[in-house]
Amino acid sequence: MIELDGVSKYFGDEAAVDGISLTIPDGSLCVLVGTSGCGKSTTLRMINRLIEHNAGEIRIDGHQIRSFNEEALRRRIGYAIQNTGLFPHWTVSRNIGVVPRLLKWDRVAIERRVEMLMELLDLDIDEFADKYPHQLSGGQAQRVGVARALAADPEILLMDEPFGALDPITRSSLQAELLRIQSRIRKTIVFVTHDMDEALRLADYIVVMRAGRIIQQGTPADILENPVDEFVETLVGGRDRGLKRAALTRVGDMMDPAGADACVAAPVVTSDDSMRLAVSLMLWHGVSELAVVDKSGQRVGTLPLSRLVNEAE
Amino acid sequence: MLAAVTALLVAMPWGLGLITGELIAPGNDAASAAISSGTWLFVFALLLMLVDLRQRLEMSASLSVVFWSAPLVSLAIALAQGWLDRLALVREYRNRQASFFDALIDHIVLVGLAVSASLIIAVALALWMRRAPHIRQGTLGVLSFIQTIPSLALFGLLLAPLAWLAASYPLLGELGIQGIGRTPALLALVGYSLLPMTRNTYIALESVDDSVIESARGMGMKPGQIFFQVRLPLALPLLIEGVRITSVQAIGLAAVAALVGAGGLGTFIFQGLGQAAMNLVMLGALPIVIMAMLLDVLLKALSGALSRGDTDDRA
Repeated sequence: MIELDGVSKYFGDEAAVDGISLTIPDGSLCVLVGTSGCGKSTTLRMINRLIEHNAGEIRIDGHQIRSFNEEALRRRIGYAIQNTGLFPHWTVSRNIGVVPRLLKWDRVAIERRVEMLMELLDLDIDEFADKYPHQLSGGQAQRVGVARALAADPEILLMDEPFGALDPITRSSLQAELLRIQSRIRKTIVFVTHDMDEALRLADYIVVMRAGRIIQQGTPADILENPVDEFVETLVGGRDRGLKRAALTRVGDMMDPAGADACVAAPVVTSDDSMRLAVSLMLWHGVSELAVVDKSGQRVGTLPLSRLVNEAE
Repeated sequence: MLAAVTALLVAMPWGLGLITGELIAPGNDAASAAISSGTWLFVFALLLMLVDLRQRLEMSASLSVVFWSAPLVSLAIALAQGWLDRLALVREYRNRQASFFDALIDHIVLVGLAVSASLIIAVALALWMRRAPHIRQGTLGVLSFIQTIPSLALFGLLLAPLAWLAASYPLLGELGIQGIGRTPALLALVGYSLLPMTRNTYIALESVDDSVIESARGMGMKPGQIFFQVRLPLALPLLIEGVRITSVQAIGLAAVAALVGAGGLGTFIFQGLGQAAMNLVMLGALPIVIMAMLLDVLLKALSGALSRGDTDDRA
């Protein structure tokens, strides 16, 4: 558990972060979101003491972070950043193994760990282990960056706009990857982004920041339903919100299971797809009803347009 | 084109041997033939073409080592087989074989000492400048100023104070610190080497991507680990570039040091100039040029190899 208690950071006279308090429970993925210069990155970097806070307390599992040795603290916390920061003179496997090496694990253990992580992040060992960072695509480099952050099996993972520099398709696939990995490893993740869509997709809990302060925090649905002010409303997309919320809802939660054998000719969605996709399919095919199937292709229900309008009320 | 130029250079020593054989009547053992300035110009033009071609073809450093060494190897073989014995230059060399090697070694030692001393000082200065950025302008200013002093003048300037030192403290004199000889030569060479060396070292260390250093910190590396495992290895190619520029410059400059009695290949050049013996001048100048070119190519290759990213030091 990470607790921030009245934490401030001043650069000169200016407050980059101004008295924020926040609790991030174990195993949750908390996204700090806001425009550039709002202090979200500074907040993140105060947690592993890359920036020292001036006031307030930051605690990890109840212990003040100042009570730890700086380097020892950072070795316990995974860290991934936007332009990957991979060491250009080291191979992929050496890059991933850097923290275990600093922690003086024995060689076999490091090797095994690196292999395991490359597998986890879908990096082919034979193909990539001996490559250098400049031989990788942006998406591959970022996978290596995430693997490196996870190398010493830290309880906490800090991610500073890790997917910010990637093209939309690669970004989307890495977001899916992160969710898949998180469902397996359940780390406490603090993720910084300026992209509200990314935040809504990834977060268990969203913290909206502006000018060094937290202006709203809550679950993605919370933030979407009840933005506290115009600023948050703009961030979540204003009148586009309906579609964003639809993106967070599963078809399976909205369908009519009763209609399992009606209307065979309708276009098909799976129950795990988002409602946003379902709406898109309806618009595209010009129909008011979709057939819902499960992962194995078994028909499980029907999604009529009326269901989604009624639910939205 | 490249092949033609290289072939011409490779064939050059053999051709020279052939021509001198033709020109000099058999049995006239004392006779020798000097290489005309036209021939030197031709060789020079060929070398220039090789340099130019190398750059235009964007040849890799290791490949260019091959192209550079081919003519040299050919020359060495021709020499060893006595094919060129009729050349005045070679005659001159045979007459002075012992002193030639002394001079060559003097030269190399002088350059080696100057380059290593300036490297050590430059690293110290560069680290200091990184710590205290405000001294950067001043330091580089002073070093640039030293560089603008004509080399002869600098040797002269050092003469008086060093002679005085040696006279006032006999111990220093016994250690070899004198107004003339090695000491002023070494000091002057270090002085000249400091600017390129310091500037390159500083730039090399500064050029390392901030995000890499940031992530090294984020991984929990200690400052010393960041420097030796990340910053220094990444700076190395540029740093070696500095060593290259400095060494090539120092090899040339060390010739002038002969004037203050430091020995080295410059001795032949100045003797030759005094006696209007061009062959003697060449005996000093050629090895200097060859050494400079060789070092240039080798260090370029080293720097290139390091910057490709295969500096993995897994043991």
